[in-house]
Amino acid sequence: MTAADLASAPTRRTRPRGALVAQVFEGLCFSAATALLVALGGLLVSLFIGGLPAFQKAGFGFFTTATWNPVTEVYGAAGPVVGTVITSVLALALALPVAGGVAFFLTELCPAPLRRPIGTAVELLAGIPSIVYGMWGLFVFAPIFSKYVQMPLMMKAEPGSLLEKLTSGVPNGSGILSASIILAIMILPFMAATLRELLLTVPAAVRESAYGLGATTAEVVLKVTLPYVRAGAIGAVMLGLGRALGETMAVTFIIGNSHGFPASVFDSGSTIASTIANEFTEATSPHHTAALVALGLVLFVITFIVLALARLLLGRAEQRL
Amino acid sequence: MSVSAARIARRRVGNLVFSGFCIAVTAVALIALAAILWSLLSQGVGGLNLDVFVKSTPAPGSKGGLANAIVGSIMMCALAMAIACVVGVLAGTWLAEYAGKSRYGSVVRFINDVLLSAPSILVGLFVYELLVAPFGGFSGFAGAVALALLAVPVITRTTEDVLSLQPATLREAGVALGAPVSFIIRKVLWRAARSGMLTGGLLAFARISGETAPLLFTALNNQFFSLNLAHPTANLPAVIFQYALSAYDDWRRLAWAGALLIAAAVLGVTVLARTLAKEQRRS
Amino acid sequence: MNTMTATDFETSITPIPAELTKVEVKNLNFFYGKSIALKSISAPIARNQVTALIGPSGCGKSTLLRTLNRMYGLYPGQRAEGEILMDGENILSPRMDLARLRSRIGMVFQKPTPFPMSIYDNVAFGVRLYEKLSKADMDARVEDALRRSALWDEVKDKLKESGLGLSGGQQQRLCVARGVAVRPEVLLLDEPTSALDPISSARLEETVSQLKVDHTIVIVTHNLGQAARISDYTGFMYLGELVEFGPTDQVFTRPSTRRTSDYITGRFG
Repeated sequence: MTAADLASAPTRRTRPRGALVAQVFEGLCFSAATALLVALGGLLVSLFIGGLPAFQKAGFGFFTTATWNPVTEVYGAAGPVVGTVITSVLALALALPVAGGVAFFLTELCPAPLRRPIGTAVELLAGIPSIVYGMWGLFVFAPIFSKYVQMPLMMKAEPGSLLEKLTSGVPNGSGILSASIILAIMILPFMAATLRELLLTVPAAVRESAYGLGATTAEVVLKVTLPYVRAGAIGAVMLGLGRALGETMAVTFIIGNSHGFPASVFDSGSTIASTIANEFTEATSPHHTAALVALGLVLFVITFIVLALARLLLGRAEQRL
Repeated sequence: MSVSAARIARRRVGNLVFSGFCIAVTAVALIALAAILWSLLSQGVGGLNLDVFVKSTPAPGSKGGLANAIVGSIMMCALAMAIACVVGVLAGTWLAEYAGKSRYGSVVRFINDVLLSAPSILVGLFVYELLVAPFGGFSGFAGAVALALLAVPVITRTTEDVLSLQPATLREAGVALGAPVSFIIRKVLWRAARSGMLTGGLLAFARISGETAPLLFTALNNQFFSLNLAHPTANLPAVIFQYALSAYDDWRRLAWAGALLIAAAVLGVTVLARTLAKEQRRS
Repeated sequence: MNTMTATDFETSITPIPAELTKVEVKNLNFFYGKSIALKSISAPIARNQVTALIGPSGCGKSTLLRTLNRMYGLYPGQRAEGEILMDGENILSPRMDLARLRSRIGMVFQKPTPFPMSIYDNVAFGVRLYEKLSKADMDARVEDALRRSALWDEVKDKLKESGLGLSGGQQQRLCVARGVAVRPEVLLLDEPTSALDPISSARLEETVSQLKVDHTIVIVTHNLGQAARISDYTGFMYLGELVEFGPTDQVFTRPSTRRTSDYITGRFG
């Protein structure tokens, strides 16, 4: 039978099989997508249920008490919450200028052949697991920090001065500031990469017009490209904040793990994540566990708000493009 | 309009300061990276020897290795990836092909982003309440589920992104031939997006292989070698956590070796993923 | 200043005897949401002939083409009213089986869209949806389709290689083969050569001329020369209206409406 014969033969056609398969497939995909919703909902519900006993026992005082005493079974979230917020904000304050500088460097100043390697190097930093940061912070950074920063500062501080108040504590390298620095190094690569991608979305024509008017690099960056991506940049910042808030391992090693309010930047503190990580498996009573889960709920709410804000801002930035 | 020389000079100085700042901080960032990698290598290599891969975790003072932890981590990550790939690809496909501009689709996308950046320790708490507390025991399964929960958003995101990139005419060509939608997705779109989805999978794997917090109260840890995921399962991050904070030298050495192994695995997979992405872009 | 005259509204549709008509478009209106894109289009498409649709950008020629295989149904908010009769059956009827429809009306798009699979599998894709053929039969069918799209000689030794490895012109002919393999009665071509170089375009035009023996062809083209070269009937569209329709010779050399002659002679476009 030749192709020509076949060409003149009548064709028999059946209905393409698969209307049922198509529906089943769509159903599967839909279920998977809904599973995401269920997961998040389940997370919220389980945290709420688990933490309820703690809220019931302590009432609103849960948020304001700084005591955390497994012996007397008094648990107050204030210490860890304050610690979380302070370390995250400090980390952000430290990381943001550096991330910005790296992003600007890579998009404007870096010579072309170096661009790819340096960019890759920064992104490799992002891939290092947080536990490595924690270990490095404790074993390498802390001694150096103690010797070259903490001790000199403490010795220099006059008794009764502001500096003394800010730097009181045991100079063993750990504490709020150390944790913030390690945290800053951790969120730095992610923010640098995001900011850089944002800067790359600015159309060449916009940048060229600015340069064409005789603006210097600093002026183009600060007055033209950065404002152009302003909403997205703020979104990226909030994403970085969200990460810092939830980070566990990088902080646990080096924050000192004491439960009250930190008295100074060199003093020990705790974050919600570090408290949970340290105490959960050794919780002394169901109430202790409930208090820890309640802490988790607080962290979830804070992070959720930050992430929602970030999404809102980043979404608006995307719409603009 | 005359431009004063002073003003120009001021602007030039400002530019120099700015540029100097950018260069300086980039140097700082690179130095930090180099320092961390150097510590990893110098401390970790010292603790690496054949025993690490062959013997299980020791009691303090005796010799041992990380074999059980390595195997445990690999098992849990593999199981987690299996679960996450199925759920993630299907969910991402739904978002890209079926959701359109619907309100529900936006909600799911938002939820996915939240899960993507959610603190991993909270995921651990959730799985504890779900799979550990009711059954009265820690298990490797719980650990794998916790890791899967962290990997799914990554895979969903990359699948959706890479499918959306496929040109509309590819879909239309399939429709014009009369093919049902699921057929087009499976045989045409997934194949076209193959390498992008693989990259997403690798990135997800890199992410979960370094995670510690979610395993702390799901898989816990196991001092001995075991292939049974229904019980507490040894894993590298938990071992490192415990050993690093201990006072014993040989434990600390093992902790550094373990850290080096994890970092090497994560970096290796990340490099692989990016190389694949570059190949795909080139073709 | 241009004031509208009667000649701005005249239309001329040359009818075709019913036995020679494969598809009849009757009073077709098309809407993108609230805005109307096709206004009361009526035209006959002749069996086993090439009908070209020409007109300036945005006139609705692609929109009209895409109603013929109900491709617009993929996108919510797009709506067609009226009738399109193929051999007496109304394509626009909700009871029309879309999969069956698309097995009878095939489409080739502007940009080549080879599927990510081997050349053989690309051509066989559509056939496999509808028919269960033995390997020998399928081989013959694939060869037949590739011969008709003038691609067989170039790919017969590399049927297992990916379709993505072909040149642009070859990929487009592969898409034609893929569409033809299903043995459609009608073939719709949406500016099939606009992404191709002149030589590939010429080869594709030859192919189209040969295909009309077995298929009714409707081609949208931006290229007046192409329409004049390969089509038997031509429809000129402007701003959603079918201004003139008739045998190609007539439309190009003795257009009945002023707007058509302005377009053909390049007064606007």
